[in-house]
Amino acid sequence: MIKRLPIACAITVGLFSLSSLALAYDADWKRGRVYYRSVCTACHAAQAGGSIAPSTMTKAQWASYLQADKHAKGKDSMKQYVSKAYRASIRSQNKAAEKFAEVADDELFEDVKAFVIKGAKDGEAPATCS
Amino acid sequence: MSARILRRIATEWSGGLLLAALLVGGSALASEPPPVRLDSTADHSKYKELQQEFASGPELTKVCLSCHTEAAKQVHRTKHWTWDFLNPENQQRLGKKNVINNFCISVPSNYAFCTSCHVGYGWKDASFDFTAEENVDCLVCHDTTGSYRKLPGLAGHPPYKDVEIPPGSGKIAKAVDLSRVAQKVGKTSRDTCGACHFFGGGGDGVKHGDMDSSLASPDKEVDVHMDATGLDFTCGTCHKTASHDVPGSRYTPVGKDKGGAHMRGKEDKSNPATCQACHGLSPHKDSGMAAKLNHHTDKIACQTCHIPAIARGGVATKMSWDWSTAGRLTPDGKPMIKKDDKGRVIYDSKKGDFTLGENVVPEYAWFNGKVSYTLLGDKIENIEGVTHINKLGGSATDGESLIWPMKVFRGAQPFDAVNKTLVTPHTAGNDDTAYWKNFGWEKAIETGMKVAGADFSGKVGFIKTDMSWPITHMVAPKEKALGCSECHTRGGRLDAIDGVYIPGRDANRLVNLIGWIVAGGTLAAVALHGLIRIVRRPR
Repeated sequence: MIKRLPIACAITVGLFSLSSLALAYDADWKRGRVYYRSVCTACHAAQAGGSIAPSTMTKAQWASYLQADKHAKGKDSMKQYVSKAYRASIRSQNKAAEKFAEVADDELFEDVKAFVIKGAKDGEAPATCS
Repeated sequence: MSARILRRIATEWSGGLLLAALLVGGSALASEPPPVRLDSTADHSKYKELQQEFASGPELTKVCLSCHTEAAKQVHRTKHWTWDFLNPENQQRLGKKNVINNFCISVPSNYAFCTSCHVGYGWKDASFDFTAEENVDCLVCHDTTGSYRKLPGLAGHPPYKDVEIPPGSGKIAKAVDLSRVAQKVGKTSRDTCGACHFFGGGGDGVKHGDMDSSLASPDKEVDVHMDATGLDFTCGTCHKTASHDVPGSRYTPVGKDKGGAHMRGKEDKSNPATCQACHGLSPHKDSGMAAKLNHHTDKIACQTCHIPAIARGGVATKMSWDWSTAGRLTPDGKPMIKKDDKGRVIYDSKKGDFTLGENVVPEYAWFNGKVSYTLLGDKIENIEGVTHINKLGGSATDGESLIWPMKVFRGAQPFDAVNKTLVTPHTAGNDDTAYWKNFGWEKAIETGMKVAGADFSGKVGFIKTDMSWPITHMVAPKEKALGCSECHTRGGRLDAIDGVYIPGRDANRLVNLIGWIVAGGTLAAVALHGLIRIVRRPR
């Protein structure tokens, strides 16, 4: 039976890899742009004393910020603001939340991440809020 | 001990592990369809031919053409490629490489800079090979990464290595990863079209007034059709393209579309990018005013009411450009730039004075779609007056015209004071005669005219010019369309429009007097009649 262990392990690893491959997601920076501008920027401009342009931070700073997942100086989570629950709570007033209501949380988070990294100060296309 | 554990795992848990893996994998693979691109039938990242380093654009294009065998030939037939167009209406030779404007003026002798917006690689001088298929740039229209860009001075090439642009500025433009861009190609988008059309005239929103970077991801207020959270039209939704030939031309636009809505299955060669091509000839349907509003459509372009202002997206457009003031230098002989309180450039030694505007009320004119240009070599009749770089046809009586909103761009530009012709100066470049390098008009114009094959007397003057740009993008929500009182009043938007009676604007004292007499007399007669009936009623 011990001889079958490597085979079983190989099949197991293979299937796990296959499943993660099937789930691999190619982030859509344009969808991230729409959500960032319509939700993040709109809320920050109206309630948080001004918008935050992607170009205000470097790619490394954005990556670190998103990895830490701390919003409002750690008061809450970044990811909650791209979650389906949050989108559901604002969809009646926010067209982007309405349009992307059914997008998976992780996908939308990756979309936003792709946009801010791309629009970072040292990104491919530094993006302002206008 | 460990061997025992391994043996137990092998005998008792291996099935469980496999089952778990199958469940996790299966949940991704079986219970839901696997992730798939829905916007294309081909994932270009899977093509081995594209999984390699490319040293240049043409090298990559050859690979594209190995599958898309007819694409380059199709592109070769378009104005996007030739920059050359013979107007069948008046036989004028137009196209970007032939016309003169009052923005950056003209292409000849400035090829390497202007052709950063050409759909090709390598147009650095008049010897460019228009027949070479590998010179077609597929990526500039089909990039989806947003990382592909062509820079002024590189003759239509993107940077293949990190490059300082402009030289000496310290600003580094990073090399484009051609392989990555090629593996992610897709349909054209507002971003790809906008990479040139939003930035015409040398900067964001400079030229058109109804096209700027705010349309890359606009909200409904800026454009109801392109609203990124709503209809999300791309440019191609209206400019419905076949064989790479994009319909809708500035040289032969449609002034009055009488054809109505296009129908599936019915061959229709008319321009699909007009409002009527979707909305038909009676577009208003759901209000009490619909019939009255539809009566307006035989005189007024949809854009007149539905685009209340130019440059509505937060990006200013240039409204005037005075080249005659260019060339002023600082006391130590260096070019200078002045900005307004919003940080917008209003003077540049290389270009002269500018004025800019946001939310500008358009000017209005009858327009029938016919355009004629003042071209290189055309005699300027009145050098004291304003020369129309493009003259738009139209009148109230020709049956072909509607009242259109226009951005009228005014300026002063160099001309040949002896031959009385427009000129094509060599502005961009790092050589001895380029105006932006040496600030000498005579040398710059001599070089430019030589390349264009035109006579130049050597004497430079400046003339006033204007150019009219019919406005058609940035359509506002219907709630923001113009109200009646914007036009039906004296001093209203259509005050300068002749040949049509506009109630409210065109009040005639005699007609008004007769009307008041008739109305007053009727009221008095009714009152008198009633009074008599009351007085004479049977008691």
